[in-house]
Amino acid sequence: MGDIPVRLLSVGTALPGPPIDTAALASAFGMDQVWRQWVDTFIGTRTRHLAVDLSTGERRESLADLGERAATQALARAGVSAEDVDVVVFGTATPDTLMPATVNVVADRLRIDGVPTFQLQSGCSGAVQTFDVAASLLSTGRYRTALVIGGDVIAKHYDVKADLTALPPDELVNYVLFGDGAGAAVLAVGDHPEAPMLRSVLTRLSGLGRAPGQTLRWYGLADRDGGEAPASEDYKAIEEHVPVLAEETADDLLDDLGWDRAEVGYLLPPQLSVTMTAKITERLAFPAAEEVSCVAETGNNGNALLFFQLDRLLPVMARPSRAIAVAIESSKWIRSGLALERV
Amino acid sequence: MPAAISRAEFVDLLRDEIGLAVAAEDLGRTLDEVPGWDSLHLLTMLVLLEKRVSRPLSLPDFLDAASLETIYELVNR
Repeated sequence: MGDIPVRLLSVGTALPGPPIDTAALASAFGMDQVWRQWVDTFIGTRTRHLAVDLSTGERRESLADLGERAATQALARAGVSAEDVDVVVFGTATPDTLMPATVNVVADRLRIDGVPTFQLQSGCSGAVQTFDVAASLLSTGRYRTALVIGGDVIAKHYDVKADLTALPPDELVNYVLFGDGAGAAVLAVGDHPEAPMLRSVLTRLSGLGRAPGQTLRWYGLADRDGGEAPASEDYKAIEEHVPVLAEETADDLLDDLGWDRAEVGYLLPPQLSVTMTAKITERLAFPAAEEVSCVAETGNNGNALLFFQLDRLLPVMARPSRAIAVAIESSKWIRSGLALERV
Repeated sequence: MPAAISRAEFVDLLRDEIGLAVAAEDLGRTLDEVPGWDSLHLLTMLVLLEKRVSRPLSLPDFLDAASLETIYELVNR
């Protein structure tokens, strides 16, 4: 990081609707015991939240709604007003509209104006990317307070009338892995000694010559009947590559900081699914770190995940202590991570 | 008692409905040797088999199955 220390003042989160357990999801799609057992055994996610009403297909909340709620909470927790925000960065794979960018819709609702705003087209590494962009801008000394937001709403890909028994595996998996949500954080420079310091942020495209692991398509009038699946996942490639990329990222962060693995008190691992997260956490092998995960309750909500993990970390993060977070985006393969320290 | 699903029907289901490139002589292979096999295929297969044999199946019964042949026998048990 630069000479000007950037600190994490607060985090806010928002989830749509009540938690939907696997039995309710199975029931909504007419799936039975064997399906529930499979989700429990191979995915492990217990609940997820959806912005769509499973019984009617009606959209209850937009990404802007969730982003606004999360950001409002983060600002309130930091004791920061909208006028104090100097820059806004939003990460999402599922904007409400391609234009206007959701970041600007949320900014408007928060009464933020006259400042730079950026929206990143991003996936599971998106939250770290928002931190990277915001921290870089703060480090220039031109800005003091940044609002970063990340979230996803998959309602448009959630066909409540779908016959899941007829879906190929690379599409079926999307129905059980994902959930909706948004998170936000306030980053700032200045005199905030009690707030954790952002020690390092790393984002690296790692997709050279590698086919995408996750594809999300969008359509217009001319190509909407093209027949390509709107969302598909090469889950085998993900199972193979994500643990390796996660390990490289954690090692890079430790090397960059000169930290010993045993000095890390908290690990925020990638949140693909409960079973994958458990495998990756074991592989990362931080001997003294407490795991901070959320995916069992939130489902994989993409750009929001890290915010939910940070929301769990902040209230319990000891002084002094160190935390490492790792997130891997499997679309065109982006590995990312960050390190926090409370002194 | 006749089998709930014949071997030939089982192979057809694996090949045509699940997309696994298997023939009758492959049933005895371990699942590791079945090209492309993974847990999602197990789910898809059990869901389709439930429809075919008209009785509920239970995933834990199949988790230790080492081959497609074992799965076939469990479905017909």
